[in-house]
Amino acid sequence: MFYQYMAMLHVSSRIIDRELKKGSAELLILSLIEARPRHGYDLSKLIEQRSDGALRFHVASLYPLLYRLEERGWIRGRWVEKAGQRRRRYYRLTTRGRVVLAAQRRGWRAFVEAINRVAGVEHA
Amino acid sequence: MRDWKLEISRRLADVTLAPPREAEIVEELAQHLEDRYQELLVGGATEARAYNATLAEMQDHELLVRELRRTATPPPVIPGTRRTSRIADIRQDVRYGLRMLARNPGFTVVAVLTLALSIGATTAIFSVVYGVLLRPLPYPKPQQIISVAERAADGHPMNFTDPNFDDLRASNHSLAALAEYDVNGVSTVVDSAGPSRVGVAFVSHDFFRAMGVAPVLGRGFSPDELHEGAAPVALTSYGYWRERLGAARDLSRFKLKMGEYVFSVVGVLPPGFSFPTGTDLWFPRELLEHLPSRTAHNWHVLGRVRDGATLVQARADLSVIARRLKQQFGADIDMTDVDVTPLRERLTGDVRPALLILLGAVGFLLLVGCANVANLELARAAARERELAVRAALGADRGRLVRQFLTESLLLSLAGGVLGVVAARWGVSGLIALAPPNLPRLTDVSVNLPVLFFALAVSILVASGLGVLTALRATSADPQRALAEDSGGHAVSPHSQRLGRILVASQLAITLMLLTGSGLLGRSLLRVLSIDPGFRTENILTIELELPAATLTAYSFALSPTGRAQAAGFVDKLFERLHTIPGVQEVGGSSDLPLAGDLSNGTFLLLDRQSSITMLDDFERLMHAVPTGEADYEVASEGFFTALGIPLLRGRLFDAHDTADAPHVAVIDQSLARATWPNQDPIGKKIEFGNMDGDVRLLTVVGVVGDVRDRSLERPPEPTVYVNYRQRLRPGGDFTVVMRASAPPASVLPAVRKIVRELDPDEVPRLHTFEQVFSASLETRRFNLMLIGVFAGAALLLAAVGIYGVMAYWVARRRREIGVRMALGAVPGDVLRLVLSHSSWTIAAGLVLGLAGSLALTRTMKSLLFDVSAADPVTFAGVALLLAGVALLACYIPARRAMKVDPMVALRYE
Repeated sequence: MFYQYMAMLHVSSRIIDRELKKGSAELLILSLIEARPRHGYDLSKLIEQRSDGALRFHVASLYPLLYRLEERGWIRGRWVEKAGQRRRRYYRLTTRGRVVLAAQRRGWRAFVEAINRVAGVEHA
Repeated sequence: MRDWKLEISRRLADVTLAPPREAEIVEELAQHLEDRYQELLVGGATEARAYNATLAEMQDHELLVRELRRTATPPPVIPGTRRTSRIADIRQDVRYGLRMLARNPGFTVVAVLTLALSIGATTAIFSVVYGVLLRPLPYPKPQQIISVAERAADGHPMNFTDPNFDDLRASNHSLAALAEYDVNGVSTVVDSAGPSRVGVAFVSHDFFRAMGVAPVLGRGFSPDELHEGAAPVALTSYGYWRERLGAARDLSRFKLKMGEYVFSVVGVLPPGFSFPTGTDLWFPRELLEHLPSRTAHNWHVLGRVRDGATLVQARADLSVIARRLKQQFGADIDMTDVDVTPLRERLTGDVRPALLILLGAVGFLLLVGCANVANLELARAAARERELAVRAALGADRGRLVRQFLTESLLLSLAGGVLGVVAARWGVSGLIALAPPNLPRLTDVSVNLPVLFFALAVSILVASGLGVLTALRATSADPQRALAEDSGGHAVSPHSQRLGRILVASQLAITLMLLTGSGLLGRSLLRVLSIDPGFRTENILTIELELPAATLTAYSFALSPTGRAQAAGFVDKLFERLHTIPGVQEVGGSSDLPLAGDLSNGTFLLLDRQSSITMLDDFERLMHAVPTGEADYEVASEGFFTALGIPLLRGRLFDAHDTADAPHVAVIDQSLARATWPNQDPIGKKIEFGNMDGDVRLLTVVGVVGDVRDRSLERPPEPTVYVNYRQRLRPGGDFTVVMRASAPPASVLPAVRKIVRELDPDEVPRLHTFEQVFSASLETRRFNLMLIGVFAGAALLLAAVGIYGVMAYWVARRRREIGVRMALGAVPGDVLRLVLSHSSWTIAAGLVLGLAGSLALTRTMKSLLFDVSAADPVTFAGVALLLAGVALLACYIPARRAMKVDPMVALRYE
């Protein structure tokens, strides 16, 4: 019957994949501006450096994400002019963003632990 | 510095952004590219290489464009709004919802069909309720049209008498028009195309002004046509003009013959106008006699409240006049006050309770259907719990997830609604075909715009309820717990389980209420059918005729002896010829066939041999001086009693010696004998009943027959006086011949038609079997029972599927537990007990709730019941047992599956 049919339904791997990438990118950006405001180029460099080049954001994917986070009210961009430089847009974490970041960190931790348990990977 | 801005702008040409926003984005991206370019140069790259490498950052610009489109703020309509992103979100939700539904066809099909059934049935019934009860009458300012009736001392409404109508019309200050009309029904009318049965009405001259209609062709009645003896004229309905008169513009050549009168057609009324319902021809009421009596209640009255006055004012105004008349005329007037109601209410008042009960019943069916879909959605939400947990963990906020569920529910219920409306259109045609003839305004019933709005509103309401319920339940789960559970997609919170069982219990409760309702109606019908009506119906053919008339005598008391003799002669010849048909055993006739419609009743005087009267005026005088009685008055032949098997209890029936010139005789029924002459022999007693037909000759009681339920099976027999057709036949009146044959009635139809045509070519006889007449009198009861029964049956099926689904799901989730138990030595009986004990609480709760609800609700349907208490214990116990049985059976199927669980397989399963 349909109940059993539905019970066997599983989460589409494509959905997880997409949500993972998107979610992890959000987590990265929120974390990087937690301590102090940063501009877009700065963010892309930091991600690349700290991941030893494993993660890299192009302009085409980084900025839409920043705009979306800003739209949600999690981060806030502001043009800052410094002496001898052209003006740049710096992003800082909002109060709401701070709450989201905490929740995402928890969720991520739970997710990783779940994956570990399922996949049998031991904790370091 | 390179011109990065140009490169960027070129690539963003497809995105519509507000100019300031676009400038900001371009500046920000250009800055990024410039930083990158400078860095590459510092790293030792050539300008060309650095340039190319930098542009490579933009190579995925389609992605950028797409992402920007999604997040872009559009050119602001109102600064600060975020409309596009919301619309984009909704679009995304819809797309995602459609994908999810398509991925789950089993769920989607069952849910949509359930909703289509429930919404369709609700919409169909609402169409009838709207068309009959709610839709404004199709006349200008319909709220101004009122129906007025005299109110008797005991509060019941009566038709108007001429003088009372005249006084009200002359003295009121609140009405623009007040008119008399009759509901004369159907007459045989001969036009150029031959005879036909046509709905006719006599209406006084203000009638069309009150209704707010005027002829679309020709003219209305002119003043010189509005008196007794004037040249008879007629207005026709648009339909009659098109079908019978060939839609001819020149009306002057059309003459309509009714009885001995010939009417000239002077006008055609607008399309759709047919009031009183079914009328095709209107004649001036002023052609008929104006009776001076204030106790001859012959006319329906309607009026139009004048602009600026209210219904309340009109009611007060007319009431004052009526009470003043009562004071003035005392015992010579029956009217003590007036009833003033909007015409629409007057037309539909009788069917209102039944229709509202049907609407309530179908609403219950809708709830049961929704509960099923809710359970399906809960189960599906449980299966999706991990997906939701992942999304929540990755940053999807709860509001967004709730919206996702709402969107999916909305998609489901709109699909169900659309299918439901299609189904409702079929349903409405079916309802119209099956509806009892007394359901008014059926032509106004259709699936129209207001009905579609209703269906849409119901769909949205259902979607919101389902979506919010499921979403709140599904998203309240703790993502961490859901993610941590290793139950392979079977994670389901105890909350969802409990909610599912509450839903099933409510379903069972509502179903029980519907079953109780239909059970009570069914038992009522059985009670009605078990009544002895006092006559037989088998193998009897009825032939409704309109007797030839010498004069236009609908309300005339001045009857010519020749007219009567002519009519009686026609009937005699007809009886004689019908007797010659092979197989015919009995032939008789009566002015009023039992169960077939209106009966005349009135007050008679008990007179002795000496005190006979010579004129009708004496009747009024004597009414206050001698003993009186109340009875129905019917003209009949002796064959009427023998054909219908009405037993003769005492004395004799009419016979050929009772000629028009012989002393007039009467046969009475047992209840009249008991009521009027208790403990006496009624044979030989004299009564005066001249007020019924203007003949003041005394009637001598010669026989007593058994009681007959004339008006309806449900009403106790009324005292009845039968008079002899040879002495008291009314020319121009309706007369029904009854024939009992040894052969099936259908076999003699052609012979009957031939005989009637030979005797009177203008006669259009209506032939029915008496069983048809009998059955038609039960149509309303059967219609209500059928609808509520169908709703109850559908609800029972849905509830059975609902409880089956929940239990099947429960068993599927417990396979391992059951396997362990069986491995540890449990026998199938133990497993069966486990499953049934789990479900029996749900079933018991549903039954208790349902019985309580039924007790509270069946009271509202008292008016539809007959001889059965609204709390009838037999019905209550019966439907509770039925429901419990079906519910347990629905649980037994999954239980059997549980018993067959192989412990080894079940343990491996996880």
